[in-house]
Amino acid sequence: MKTSSITDRRSKAGQAAVWQARLIMLVMINIAQLWILAATVDAALASHYSVLLPLVVASGICFLITLSIVKWWRPTSRKKTSTGYVRDTNR
Amino acid sequence: MSSNKHLSETIKRVVADEALSDESDVRAATEPFQAEFPYERDEEAQVTRREFCNFLGLTSAALFLGATGFAAKAAFDARESVTLPTAHIEGAEALAPNSSLNFSYPTERDSAILIRAADGSYHAYGQKCTHLSCPVYYSRDHRRLECPCHEGAFDAMTGNVLYGPPPRALDVIEVETRDGQVWAIGRNASTPQNGD
Repeated sequence: MKTSSITDRRSKAGQAAVWQARLIMLVMINIAQLWILAATVDAALASHYSVLLPLVVASGICFLITLSIVKWWRPTSRKKTSTGYVRDTNR
Repeated sequence: MSSNKHLSETIKRVVADEALSDESDVRAATEPFQAEFPYERDEEAQVTRREFCNFLGLTSAALFLGATGFAAKAAFDARESVTLPTAHIEGAEALAPNSSLNFSYPTERDSAILIRAADGSYHAYGQKCTHLSCPVYYSRDHRRLECPCHEGAFDAMTGNVLYGPPPRALDVIEVETRDGQVWAIGRNASTPQNGD
């Protein structure tokens, strides 16, 4: 019983850390995308067409990373995973 | 009973057109409903981590769409071929060597500068600095175009950047001399220098 509560506490701490990491990564990607948008506007106004496509591709990659973080990269429970696998918490 | 009393009192105050407190009066009056449909105002005001993550995801999508939109518009505008009119530059013939004249081309809003070099040849450029669009002027002493805002300079013969923050050369306006008169016949945006 005691072992189980310690494991639960650790599990919650781990989940909080994962949430925190997700948030930090998402914020950093958003900042990078803001910079890319500013560079795109700058290049468009300066008729610098050769860099437009790489900038859009970079922004798209950032968006895909964000999507993967939001949709799939979630903290999993120690008791039940997304695949239905139940881990032994009393070990 | 107490709840109904609160409710009737609140209704009376509403009818009497008295000021009500949203926090205390309305909450007390709607107590029976609060029991069945609990609503915590403070909790509602908080944003959960999940909501914040979703918001960041939507922001990312919006930024991506913004960048795509700007790039698409710029590419579309670049493909459109614009035929510019020819325009006579008034007073160019009387321009002394090593001096300049301001004119507008192709529209009244597009200010431009015509330079007559010491050898008598004409060179014309868009007057907007390619850094932050300040107007450039011709420096007779240095024989170059200078931007007073951030100390950029351009070659008077080619429009290329000599030094300073401008990322590319000035827009070149093609000029032609016909029967002793100087005409502007086209305008070309330059490409960035030094691989910028």
